[in-house]
Amino acid sequence: MKPAVYRVLRHLPMPLIAILIGLVAGLAVWGVLDHVQSRAVERIFNKELTARLDLRSRESLLRFDQYMNNYAATARLLANHRRLAQYLEPLFWFPEEDVEPVVYEQFRPFWLPDFFERNALLAPSHVLLMDTRGQVREIYQAGRKALAPELLADAATWVGEGDDVRTVLARAGDAPYLVVSDRVEDAGGYGMGHLVVVVPIDTAFLEASEGSVSADSSAVALVDSDEQRILATNEPQELIPGTLLEQWGDEFVVTSQSLPEYEGSNWNMLFATFIPHSSVEKMTERVVEFERNQRLIAALVFIAVFTLVIYLVSARLNRVLTRMTRFSQRALEIEQPNFKRGGNQLLLLEDWIQHFTNLVLKAREEMNRRHAHEMRETEALKAAIMEASLDAIVSLDRAGLIIDYNPMAEAMLGLTPVNALNGDFARRFLDPAEHAAFLGMLSESGRRQHGHRRPHARGELWAKRADGSRFPVEMSIVPIDIDDERVYTLYIHDATQRKAAEREIKSLARFASESPNPILRVNAEGLIVYANAASRPLTLAWGSGPGQLLPLAWIEEVHAVLDDGLNHECEDDQGEQIYSLLFVPITDLGYVNIYARDITAVRRAEQESRQHQSELVHVCRLSTMGEVATGMAHELNQPLSAIVNYAKGASRRLQSGILETAPLVEAMRQISAQAQRAGEIIRRLRALVGKQAPVRSVVDLNYMVREVCGFLEFETGKLELRIELDLAEGEIPVSVDLVQIEQVLLNLVRNALDALEDKPVKDRHLAIFTLARGTEAIVGVADNGPGIPEERMAHLFDPFYTTKETGMGMGLAISQTIIDDHGGEIRAESEPGRGTVFHVHLPLAAEALAAAPAPEQVPDVEGAEAEPTVAEAGR
Amino acid sequence: MSREETVFVVDDDQAMRSSLQWLIESMGMRVETYDSAQAFLDAYYPGRAGCLLLDVRMPGMSGLELQAYLAKREHRIPVIIITGHGDVSMAVKAMKNGAVDFIEKPFDDEALIVSIRNALQHDEKQRALRAQRADIAARMAELTPREHEVMTMVTDGRSNKEIATALGVSAKTVEVHRARVMDKMRADSLAELVRMVMIAGAEVQ
Repeated sequence: MKPAVYRVLRHLPMPLIAILIGLVAGLAVWGVLDHVQSRAVERIFNKELTARLDLRSRESLLRFDQYMNNYAATARLLANHRRLAQYLEPLFWFPEEDVEPVVYEQFRPFWLPDFFERNALLAPSHVLLMDTRGQVREIYQAGRKALAPELLADAATWVGEGDDVRTVLARAGDAPYLVVSDRVEDAGGYGMGHLVVVVPIDTAFLEASEGSVSADSSAVALVDSDEQRILATNEPQELIPGTLLEQWGDEFVVTSQSLPEYEGSNWNMLFATFIPHSSVEKMTERVVEFERNQRLIAALVFIAVFTLVIYLVSARLNRVLTRMTRFSQRALEIEQPNFKRGGNQLLLLEDWIQHFTNLVLKAREEMNRRHAHEMRETEALKAAIMEASLDAIVSLDRAGLIIDYNPMAEAMLGLTPVNALNGDFARRFLDPAEHAAFLGMLSESGRRQHGHRRPHARGELWAKRADGSRFPVEMSIVPIDIDDERVYTLYIHDATQRKAAEREIKSLARFASESPNPILRVNAEGLIVYANAASRPLTLAWGSGPGQLLPLAWIEEVHAVLDDGLNHECEDDQGEQIYSLLFVPITDLGYVNIYARDITAVRRAEQESRQHQSELVHVCRLSTMGEVATGMAHELNQPLSAIVNYAKGASRRLQSGILETAPLVEAMRQISAQAQRAGEIIRRLRALVGKQAPVRSVVDLNYMVREVCGFLEFETGKLELRIELDLAEGEIPVSVDLVQIEQVLLNLVRNALDALEDKPVKDRHLAIFTLARGTEAIVGVADNGPGIPEERMAHLFDPFYTTKETGMGMGLAISQTIIDDHGGEIRAESEPGRGTVFHVHLPLAAEALAAAPAPEQVPDVEGAEAEPTVAEAGR
Repeated sequence: MSREETVFVVDDDQAMRSSLQWLIESMGMRVETYDSAQAFLDAYYPGRAGCLLLDVRMPGMSGLELQAYLAKREHRIPVIIITGHGDVSMAVKAMKNGAVDFIEKPFDDEALIVSIRNALQHDEKQRALRAQRADIAARMAELTPREHEVMTMVTDGRSNKEIATALGVSAKTVEVHRARVMDKMRADSLAELVRMVMIAGAEVQ
């Protein structure tokens, strides 16, 4: 229901509604006012009318009265007139009974001057002279009509007693008459009687009495008060004499008044004034209409003003709304609602405000949400930044007290947040000498407002950790103003490393110049652009120098190196000096760095070392023997001590005279057994010692393995380990120097034993395998020790390379030399954490190959019997 | 040197064991040999008189370990360490751990005898001291607390009067206590009493 009305209202423009409302309101006001006012007006009017009617009737009466008084005055004038006195002088009326009056018919007697006409009065119908006894003597008759007999009969009653004029209204039949009488004296002053003037009160009389005043339609009448019958009227056409007064009540407003002055009449008279109703109503209508017109004009003016005001207000409102809409549309970036269309702006406003409020609410919600989201993100981001920052971040309030403190700051400054918060930053964490500088930075950070970046200050200071140690920091201070409260955020970076790195770079920059080896930089044309001090002998030898060209051969080398972009090393043998030259191209800059090394001494040493190698082999063998000998010495000690004990015991017994033979013989046997045991040990030792000429003899590889195992019994026993042998069937004949090859094997097995030292006893595995393949005999020594790290593999066979505290680093180097001498190969295979396998390949003896061209233990199929790998060996 | 004294030889080498037994028996001493530390521990019980000849290098429990084991259990048998050539560092360690001597293989018989004799003497002395202390301790146990108090004060060198003042008794009473202490401790003189108290308080070496 409401929407329907609402929809209609929406589409009515405001001015129209303003007019409608104005009209309706005006009509309503007018309707009510009209009703109320009409009544009021009528009431007032009626009252006024009554008053006026009353007044008018009074006026009529007064005029009537006046008119009659004029008659009285005229009558007096006549009665006292000189002519009448003169006329009466000689007369004397005898008192007789029936006197016949003298009648002057239609002519005027002498004593009657024409005063009435002069006084604008209707001429009387009769004038009588009456004697003192009341007998009419003379009669003036104006017209043909004689005086009515009733009047004549009653003439004496109309005469007054005194001198005063008496006016009486008399009636003869239905005709009323005015009778005026006055005393008449003769010239001698003798009272003769009375003059009586009789005037008929008819239409003419009444008209004359009202004169010209009665221009309106009102009428007057004389009414018989007893009968309420009209006797005479001035408007005989409208008011028919003889009719009853009440007959006219519908048509006229009747006001009747008595005529008290004229007492003495023979009837009661009323003077009635008639004012026609139509006249009254017309007047009333005129007044009411006038009033109504006034009200109508007032209502119209009211409506017009009201409408105009509302129209102006709504138009103004509309403009404001349109502007608001535009602003809000722009502010909120929305299209609805469109205010260009017509209709009821107030309702549209309501709609729009609702819509707008919703939009604003929604927008606010959205903004809140977004803001909250952003806040959360910002918080999370800030927390993440604070947590993850590599710099210490410390926030200070205006007073310089710490209010925030990230984990890095804790690590850097060495104080937990609980202890650090609310502490004075400068006092706690800065070197006292830096306080002034720090305060300067704080004030500077707030001042730097110009420029496009946030105000901040940077500087380097010395900070102080909680434990008092000093360290350099880079500090950036950013002031942040939050709600009139200034907060300083300090980003502190530990500059220790950077300072160190700077020093490092400075020192690195001196590398080239300090280098004892020649270092040169050459451009693409072969021009030396830099040469360090150490390169002077080299450039001198080349006959060149800084700023000069390289020898032609080296220029070509420079070009070649720049072209392929790879390092290249070569030697420059100048007879006395030998240089190794490393050409390193820097292709993007078009330079070549040349790192030269004087390798003269190295080359000489290499030559010498080659010369001394065989001697070295012996020396090293001896040293290895020394290690073996320590073990051997312990073993020798046992039988020797036993022999000494037996011998001493025997001699003591003999000295003390105990001569039982059997124990002594047993002691002797023991002595010889222990001596033999010692001899055996020494024999084994001898086999290892002594420099022998490199002789080749055909020996069984398996035999050598077993022999070496025998040598190492003591050491394997010490490690509680049994060497697992996996030897090929039959003999593997090789043509070798027995002692040297045994030396190699001994070395390998001892290395393996050393490798197993740190392993748990039950986990120690050492395996030796042999096999023949093709023309090769192979022996492998595998352990499940820690293995050899990859970086060491390359240097494994270098002389003097060792990882043992007591080793000389010659063992494997000598082994390689020996195996090389035999035309064989030695190599190592290692998996860190799982173990190492050493393979020794030796050529099979030529005789053996000739005798057995296809040895049965040589399955020459690839992979059919692969060499055991580290993993297998480490089982 | 009583007959109960035994020289215990612990060595893993058969030849060494029997040759040592042969040599030491030729000096007229009892010898028991064991091939390992565990075998010795199985046979030995505390309080046996004698000394221990111990080879430092042995499989299983080594000589040093056995020595430490005995020391931990307060088995105060004197230990002589036998070392091979080049085991001097181990011998030093053994001496630090309380061995009475060490001899190097091969031995000089005279040196071995002197060493064994010294060890046995040390053992006997220690044993006597322990016995005496036990005896004194038993006598002391008979004393009443008050008598013990008086004895302590007497041996501290305080006069009867001083003791009486300190304990709040009459000198006469102290005299009585003192006579009873001397009687119970079976001490003939004050000097002997002081010696007894010192022995009871002294650490056994």
